[in-house]
Amino acid sequence: MHIAEGFLPWYWCVFWYALAIPFIYHGVLQIRKIRKEHPEMTPLLAVCGAFIFIMSSLHVPSVTGSSSHPTGNGLGAVFFGATVISAICVPILVFQALVLAHGGITTLGANDFSMGVVGPFCAVFAWKIAKKFGAGYGVAIFLAAFVGDWMTYVTAATELGMAFPVPTFAAAWVKMMIIYSYTQIPISIAESFLTVIIFDYIMRSRPDLLVTLKVIKAEDASRYDDEESDEPPKKVPEAN
Amino acid sequence: MFEDFLDRYAQSNAIRNVNTYYKVLFGIITMIVSLVSTSPVIPLTIFILVSFIILFRAKIPAKFYLKFVTVPLTFASITFIFMAFWFGTGSYIYTLGVFNLGVTVSGFNLGFLVFARMMGGFACLAFLGLTTPLPEIFSVLEDFKFPEELLEITMLMYRYVFISIDEALRMYQAQQTRLGYSAGLKKYYQSMGMLIANIFIRTWTIGEKSYVSMQSRCYNGKLNTMDDHDSIKGIPVRNLVVLLLFEFVLSVGVYLTGSFRVL
Repeated sequence: MHIAEGFLPWYWCVFWYALAIPFIYHGVLQIRKIRKEHPEMTPLLAVCGAFIFIMSSLHVPSVTGSSSHPTGNGLGAVFFGATVISAICVPILVFQALVLAHGGITTLGANDFSMGVVGPFCAVFAWKIAKKFGAGYGVAIFLAAFVGDWMTYVTAATELGMAFPVPTFAAAWVKMMIIYSYTQIPISIAESFLTVIIFDYIMRSRPDLLVTLKVIKAEDASRYDDEESDEPPKKVPEAN
Repeated sequence: MFEDFLDRYAQSNAIRNVNTYYKVLFGIITMIVSLVSTSPVIPLTIFILVSFIILFRAKIPAKFYLKFVTVPLTFASITFIFMAFWFGTGSYIYTLGVFNLGVTVSGFNLGFLVFARMMGGFACLAFLGLTTPLPEIFSVLEDFKFPEELLEITMLMYRYVFISIDEALRMYQAQQTRLGYSAGLKKYYQSMGMLIANIFIRTWTIGEKSYVSMQSRCYNGKLNTMDDHDSIKGIPVRNLVVLLLFEFVLSVGVYLTGSFRVL
């Protein structure tokens, strides 16, 4: 959904920058807090960022001045909170603009608002709702990734529709969503399954990190521990 | 697959040692001039001029640059066609004959303007990306009070992206030697899925290891690098004047050609 350099008129560039900056600022404060309290989270945070970078680099051309690709923002948002992703998306988008000619510097505000603000917030929301209705972790992370991906595209279509409301905003919006859907439906489903696989792996290998981040409950983590660990069982039968 | 990576040219081009701030200033200001332009003339001029600088001043091989240009060119062309057909109002100047589709004057002009702006902006981005290594751009960001924590994560991310490219290449070749991608479409997708799912996991594993080894060598949350940065004061006055003159001429051009339309 990266809007290409020079595509938006300058006043829309400024507008989206202004909307995104408060979230980015909050995200920076959150990162500062995480780094202070749990420095062991740093590699996971950076890998989540690298994941977003790689996922969103695999693009196919789509609607005018934009592209269709997985976003990968659901996973990080569920782990670290939505605004952390808003902040982390800034260097990612700068990378992509400079290294891959994908997106742009002037449209960075708009791209960050869709991929780093609306997408992650909706992903976290979906995760919480799913958990509330008693869904398992697999289902919940699937929904989070799926919603995160789709809301990113809904926002991107809104941004494009607002910049070029021809003939009307609604008509332009519907047109773009239809074109996005052709490529985005299979992509988002594949991405969501991939996220489930990765989440499952993290839950098996380092459940302690997820407990610290309050993503999963401690008793669920220990259940996984028992399945996986090679250590002797904790309850040693009494010797007679 | 990834051997001909852009980072190599950023590290070894003919204007690699020109003051980083100067290159960043040139890139960003020219980009903004291209963006505020209301006619396609100046953005296209910028595209041609900056491409000349990239090819003949920075001496980037034309083959690589052309390959790099095709990405935005495809996007821009699709945009142009799409806008010409759908984003106009008024009477048709050309009709397709089917689906009641046609090109309108306003749609054509809008599409061409956006096409020009995308190519102009792209050239400036390519200039920055091809002539300045990313670590130097980071150091500029640091000077502009970019938050330290975020910069730290950025550097780690930058490293992890390269780790994952390495790992992806390794796994891809391992899969290929085991007929991973050449035994039918189903196997192709299966191999692809394995590859992508494992990139994250492998990168994370290696990242954790390197983090632990960094910590055991007194890493306290700040990566210290030992290079003498360029400073903004190091730009020769003559260069600054040339830059300002160049941007001034472009701005006058934007003002003069403001109402120019192709059709």
